[in-house]
Amino acid sequence: MYKIKIGLPSKGRLKDESLAFLKSKNLQVVNSFGERNYFFNIKNNNEIDGIFLHAREIIERINDGTLDIGISGLDLLKELPDVYSANVKIFKKLNFGFADLVVAIPKDWLDVQNMADLEEVSFEFREKYGRRMRVATKYPNLTESFFLSKGVSQFRVVPSLGATESYPFTGSSELITDITSTGSTLKANNLRIINDGIILKSSACIFVSKKIEKNKFLNLLK
Amino acid sequence: MKQALENKRLKEDLSKKILSNFKKNKFNFTDLDLLIDTSLLTERSGEQFKKFTLTYKDLFGKEISLRPDLTVSTALKYIQEKKNKEEKYCYYGSAYRLDKEGDLKVFDQIGCEIINSNNNKSENILINSILEPLKKIKKLEVVLGDVGLFKILVESLELPARWKLRLVKNFSRIEYFEDMLKRLETNYDLDQQAIKLDTKRLKDLEKLDQNSIIGGRTVSEIVKRFNKKIKDPRDNYKGKKNVKIIRDFLNINSSIQKAESTIVSFFSKNKLSNLSIKNYLRKINRINKEIGKKYSINFKTNFGRNTDYYTGVVFLASVKKNSKTIELARGGEYNGLLRTLGYKKDIPAIGGAINLNELINL
Repeated sequence: MYKIKIGLPSKGRLKDESLAFLKSKNLQVVNSFGERNYFFNIKNNNEIDGIFLHAREIIERINDGTLDIGISGLDLLKELPDVYSANVKIFKKLNFGFADLVVAIPKDWLDVQNMADLEEVSFEFREKYGRRMRVATKYPNLTESFFLSKGVSQFRVVPSLGATESYPFTGSSELITDITSTGSTLKANNLRIINDGIILKSSACIFVSKKIEKNKFLNLLK
Repeated sequence: MKQALENKRLKEDLSKKILSNFKKNKFNFTDLDLLIDTSLLTERSGEQFKKFTLTYKDLFGKEISLRPDLTVSTALKYIQEKKNKEEKYCYYGSAYRLDKEGDLKVFDQIGCEIINSNNNKSENILINSILEPLKKIKKLEVVLGDVGLFKILVESLELPARWKLRLVKNFSRIEYFEDMLKRLETNYDLDQQAIKLDTKRLKDLEKLDQNSIIGGRTVSEIVKRFNKKIKDPRDNYKGKKNVKIIRDFLNINSSIQKAESTIVSFFSKNKLSNLSIKNYLRKINRINKEIGKKYSINFKTNFGRNTDYYTGVVFLASVKKNSKTIELARGGEYNGLLRTLGYKKDIPAIGGAINLNELINL
């Protein structure tokens, strides 16, 4: 019998809310192999094999066919090349994990209210300093597409792995794009979101592999 | 396979003939580098350039691209060889670009470039050299434009300085430019509520050391731009009027013989200063006098905007085949390109290339 392989986030609020969501659908996750083991089952259901993975990894594994279903963030799928969207389908947007990917600048840049200002400042910056403005981000692809769509071409992406909010104040970048749910971390780090600087409104989603789009198990998740 | 070999032979024969023509016009053949340091392209045109180029990282992490364009390669050659006088180059080779699906497309081109010339006949020499091999083609259509004219139009409009800069800088980005025109018709970029709040915060900023740095910019830079912005307002009426003038200007389409009178009367009709335009149009007149007799040339103000390094005259030669336009050659002036690639100043330059892939299929 073919067993459906499902991936869930391995930590944090996304893990807790994913478990709660499954429970609300009468699918209770049980760690049959112990608390620290990554594999899990669903109580009274032997059609499912489950694994806890990093949210980013879940999309990768659905794409390569190792997983059939997974819960992860929409932002993580959108950041990947278009070919992923051909294999990884959004089955359902969930009511948790809400966060926006935004453009944030130092709060004292009073002259910059919107992306049009940023476009102008980026040209001036290049003229004055002989280099392009740097944007630190964990989302280089989404950032690049958004900036170009808003006419900001004079920039360079600086990949960041964490603590992105600190970059403008350590000389590592001039501005950032980052994911935020309340904006409080940005505020605490003297950053401000640009008026029209919302790149993506994200939430947790159930992603499914193209090959199981019509599987009857999915009815349980609706 | 047989067809491919035949095409290759045809291209070789044709290229020999065209190159000998270029050489007669005193263009010197040059071999161009196949690979370009990607940072030179991105520093110039921004990150979007990478989307169209085949790029890879070498063992030391340096990004290298297959040349997407032979004009850029020629300009780099001029800089690398430390030239400082007029050079007339001709070349034969391929340009490599990725299409929207990410597939590599190869364009076999044969072309010539004149860099750093003070000769006011350079445009005529170049355009003539490119069109000469095509002159026997029946129903050859030539379109001429001049992207520098738009800059003069914008200068003569009553607009905040930052909008003038913005319109000129984004003239080559057609989709975004349209977006900007829509914004210009409204007061979208000035949020009065936010300005009120920020004016209060401005006082705190003014108390700081004006040379201190906030996110890579000096405090004085921020304060200066903020003051300039709030003192440089525009109203809806003028915005709409200016957008109409810009749109009407971009619809000008006439024979080259009537280009000067059409543009001058457009400026008069819209009560725009036409002193600099008359001077500027001398170049179009020279082209008309020498080349306008030999070819059917249309002048379009909206033409030639797709390539961001063109600064002046731009041209395209094409034919219609089964109601489809086949582009045979194109080129233009690029007086600012060399400085952005590392040369010490702006220098006059013009170039053009024939698309051999299309030419052999005629």
